[in-house]
Amino acid sequence: MLLINIEKISTFYGDLQALYEISFCIEEGEIVSIIGNNGAGKSTALNTISGVFHPKSGTINFMGNQIEKLFSHQIVELGIVQIPEARHLFPRMSILENLQLGAFVSRARMEKEKTIRYVFDLFPPLEERKYQLAGTLSGGEQQMLAIARGLMARPKLLMLDEPSLGLAPKIVKQVFEVVKQVNREGITVLLVEQNVYYSLNISDRAYVLENGKIVMQGSGKNLLKDENVRRTYLGI
Amino acid sequence: MKVTEKKTKNRLLNVGKYFLVLFLIVLPLIVKNPFYQDLLFMMFFYSVLAGAWNFIGGFAGQTSLGHTAFFGIGAYTSTLLYLNLGISPWIGMLAGAALAMLVSIAIAVPCFRLKSHFFALSTIAFAEVLRYLSTYFRGITKGSVGLLIPFNNGWPTFMFRNKIPYIYLTLTLMLIVVFVSYLIKISKPGYYLRALRENQDAAESLGVNTSLYKLIALLISVFFVALAGTFYAQYLLYIDPETVFTFSISISMALFSIIGGIGTVTGPILGAFILTPLDVMLRAWFGNQYFGINYIIYGIVLVVVVIYLPSGIISWIEKKYNLIIEKLLGGKLFSEKVVKELVFNQNEVMFPKIKLEEDINKRPILFEVKELTKRFGGLVAVNNVDFKIKQGDILGLIGPNGAGKTTIFNLVSGFLVPDSGKVLFKGKDITNIKPPHKICATKIGRTFQVVKPFQKMTVLENVMVGTFAVIMDRKRAEKKARQLVNFFGLNKCIDYLAENLTIADRKKLELCRVLATEPELLLLDEVMSGLNPKETEEIINLVRKISEQGITLLVIEHIMQVIMTLSNHIVVLNYGKKIAEGIPKEISKNRKVIDAYLGEEYVIN
Amino acid sequence: MFIIIIQLLINGLLVGGLYALVSIGLCLIFGVLEIINFAHGEFLMLSMYMTYWLFNILGIDPYFSALIVFPVFFIFGTIIQRTIIQPLLNAPSLNQIFATVGLSMIFQNIALLLWKADFRIVKTSYSSKVIIIGDYRIGFTRLVAFLIASGGILILFLFLENTYTGKAIRALAQERRASQLMGINIFKTYQIAFGIGIAITGLAGAILMPLFYAFPTVGNLFSLIAFVVVILGGYNNLVGALFGGLIIGLIESFGGFFISPHLKEAIYFIIFILILLFKPTGLLGHKENI
Repeated sequence: MLLINIEKISTFYGDLQALYEISFCIEEGEIVSIIGNNGAGKSTALNTISGVFHPKSGTINFMGNQIEKLFSHQIVELGIVQIPEARHLFPRMSILENLQLGAFVSRARMEKEKTIRYVFDLFPPLEERKYQLAGTLSGGEQQMLAIARGLMARPKLLMLDEPSLGLAPKIVKQVFEVVKQVNREGITVLLVEQNVYYSLNISDRAYVLENGKIVMQGSGKNLLKDENVRRTYLGI
Repeated sequence: MKVTEKKTKNRLLNVGKYFLVLFLIVLPLIVKNPFYQDLLFMMFFYSVLAGAWNFIGGFAGQTSLGHTAFFGIGAYTSTLLYLNLGISPWIGMLAGAALAMLVSIAIAVPCFRLKSHFFALSTIAFAEVLRYLSTYFRGITKGSVGLLIPFNNGWPTFMFRNKIPYIYLTLTLMLIVVFVSYLIKISKPGYYLRALRENQDAAESLGVNTSLYKLIALLISVFFVALAGTFYAQYLLYIDPETVFTFSISISMALFSIIGGIGTVTGPILGAFILTPLDVMLRAWFGNQYFGINYIIYGIVLVVVVIYLPSGIISWIEKKYNLIIEKLLGGKLFSEKVVKELVFNQNEVMFPKIKLEEDINKRPILFEVKELTKRFGGLVAVNNVDFKIKQGDILGLIGPNGAGKTTIFNLVSGFLVPDSGKVLFKGKDITNIKPPHKICATKIGRTFQVVKPFQKMTVLENVMVGTFAVIMDRKRAEKKARQLVNFFGLNKCIDYLAENLTIADRKKLELCRVLATEPELLLLDEVMSGLNPKETEEIINLVRKISEQGITLLVIEHIMQVIMTLSNHIVVLNYGKKIAEGIPKEISKNRKVIDAYLGEEYVIN
Repeated sequence: MFIIIIQLLINGLLVGGLYALVSIGLCLIFGVLEIINFAHGEFLMLSMYMTYWLFNILGIDPYFSALIVFPVFFIFGTIIQRTIIQPLLNAPSLNQIFATVGLSMIFQNIALLLWKADFRIVKTSYSSKVIIIGDYRIGFTRLVAFLIASGGILILFLFLENTYTGKAIRALAQERRASQLMGINIFKTYQIAFGIGIAITGLAGAILMPLFYAFPTVGNLFSLIAFVVVILGGYNNLVGALFGGLIIGLIESFGGFFISPHLKEAIYFIIFILILLFKPTGLLGHKENI
């Protein structure tokens, strides 16, 4: 079943055009990646879906709802949750409070206790330190908390913006393991990444974004072998 | 706008200005009623205050709410010198201004670094302290009792039976303030002040010593406010702390300026001319019964203007004026006709061509970075990085997001100071040179990842800020700027405000502007981002032309095709460390580089 | 001597608690909306007048009218936020500063126009009551004010810590983008935060009324105190405002006795300037926007 369909979305920052009529879709249960170099527009795409920016033209259809004109809090209420680049945790709040805030929307608030239990089982270190201030955690722990906090909103579509940023390779592996597991349990994932190997490896399908346009698409495995992907990144 | 229309508009405006001044000069002679004479005095007087505040609050963009301190210093100094030492207020006035300027330096130097809200708070605090001191030292100032100046008619004692001389003196002072405002606006300090108000970082990178110019604006402002203090004392012949050190004077000055049009030459005058009579009329109609109604109206106008008309009444009038001219001349004001684009001569030298050694191998090392390190808290953003750039090279600096590239730019352009390591330019150690305007003086220029145009200045004015770094005279600076604008293909929008340009033109403007400072080394921070292929090609050509002039380039770029073809040498960063260095071909095959971008397990067939 | 010191200590803490309540609204607004409300004292002044009129016309005891003042001022605050503050959230700071300065002018002069410059006092049956414990005297109204202030601050902290709306307010003060992405309606939250800040200030005015007297420019004095308390405590830290209030109360009490009561204001200003110049983040503030 088609979960979300983005059609001919163009987003501007003032007169700077960041996205040029991009179109893509995600089926329920998939892991889809958007890869591309820095400045390609990946974060802009996520923020447009999240309602942080409104597109100048185009439509976004999520489970039968037209959402491109909605405000960000309404979009979270519908079940699309973004875990932002550089995590943006609430630094002077504890792990527990960050998680509680993750369940802010009414739909998630009702099941708060159950979700916290689930999230602590997924990330035991978070439970051990649940009263520790988020600002004092290490990079890897912060990423775990950010994902956990996102899960608290009981998303149907979970979007991650560069989860591997600034993390050591070992931790990156763990993060992607968690993403796979969460997907196995029924959450559809949209992953935006610069790290091509990990993201393409776990994705069912992927799109390559370059200068605000989608230039390639295909299955994760196929794109991983494609010469053109390498050229986009390395220029030669 | 059609050239003829613009000329007509300007001519009408100039004639209008002269008539207005003539009218003002004649007016005091016509008005016989002392009530209206007093009103006239007040209008001119508040114009002086508003115009004076505008230097620091408008031109320099520093919101001072404590200017009453300088008003009071002026008033008390001249009065005390006259009463105790018999010194003429004409001299006392200058002494008061000098003292006020000294005090302002003492306040400004520590407070300028505070951000706007806090700067405003600190100025209020200082003014209150001065008011308090004037009451406390009642031995000298007679405290709240105040000082009474015994009447002694005559020019040496600056006292007159008739209101007319007062009015003319204040009018003269007002015209001086307007004239000085105009001079500043069209000269180098004016451009620099507007630049620093629009974007302090960009101004610094173009060689503007922002601290110095803020101080100059403050001193000019304080000078006139102090003089006004003396004028006030001599008019009323009585001063006390409650009337000359009062917060409402600080507010009124700013209020008139804002409502009239902050940062313009005539806006503050207009504000004073509109609101002072309003104030007096309201007082007259409602009398003491409805005391305070004028302030209620001021408050409402202030809030409305600040939300809906932030550029003041004068901008509204300008728009209407333009519409009227349009109607009179019967044509569209801004015609589609584009000024004929000057064909630029390929060989025309825009900036002194730097002579490079013919033999590439013999070219000297222009720029060197040694063991450069910078930490932010626990994170090492730049970790022991070394590289050299030969004169004439184009060095590309690449690496994944967060690798430390922009931090390095900030370290070598005076925006950050490294924790350890050295930066050498032409053999000289420039590691600790700060602030950025000093780096510009050493002939290093930079652009910014997110372009920072001076939004409310035209393309030409933007470039002129750059040319003023090397040329003092305005006419020559303008000529040079026009040449540069031509070179960069921006002629069609030379008179447009920067905020109305397309992103591609803004990038060209940023390049044009920094080149006006005649750098020998140019740091380009992601200058191609956000452009379509055609625009990218235009910029690449411009960058190549810049390189052909002998300017050395250090470029950060993410679009790989671009950087690989443009650079002749590449340095790759990851996690703050240099992981590879070499010519583009080698780099694209380098295992470590591929790992960094595509991931460790990425296998190339 | 010892007795005098304890007495001064008691007085200082009692008035300090009240000063904390007076200032905490300003701190909350600055922490969340990042604007300095130059009309802060005027909201206090208006609530003092409202308390006065409720007492004079309806005979409601000031401590009970606090229950009316609080919600009224909450609504008042949200209206001001929506009409004046919200449009200016992204405007240059000059515009923000002058918007609240303009409000301050409007409120002060409406009060002057409507109610003249006379001092207004609320005299109740217990106005001059004094409680005596051992060698120490405690003014009844001062004690009640302190208790209500403490209670108010406690309830505020509990609200911010334990309710979702309270957490949303704290989150918004720390991280705007993430708050958006959590599904927090940031427009509504700004309104609520500003409303609460004004409501608390209104409450402070109500309990201040039996202790002081109302006149149109009374806001100036308390604005000064609030600014000093907030800057001293840490401009975006509420606990800091609490400590700042107590410290200022103690300084006033001891300074007034050992030095001179007339130098009060001068001392405040000097503290204010020194902190802004040497440690702008105050005792407990976090470095963000100085």
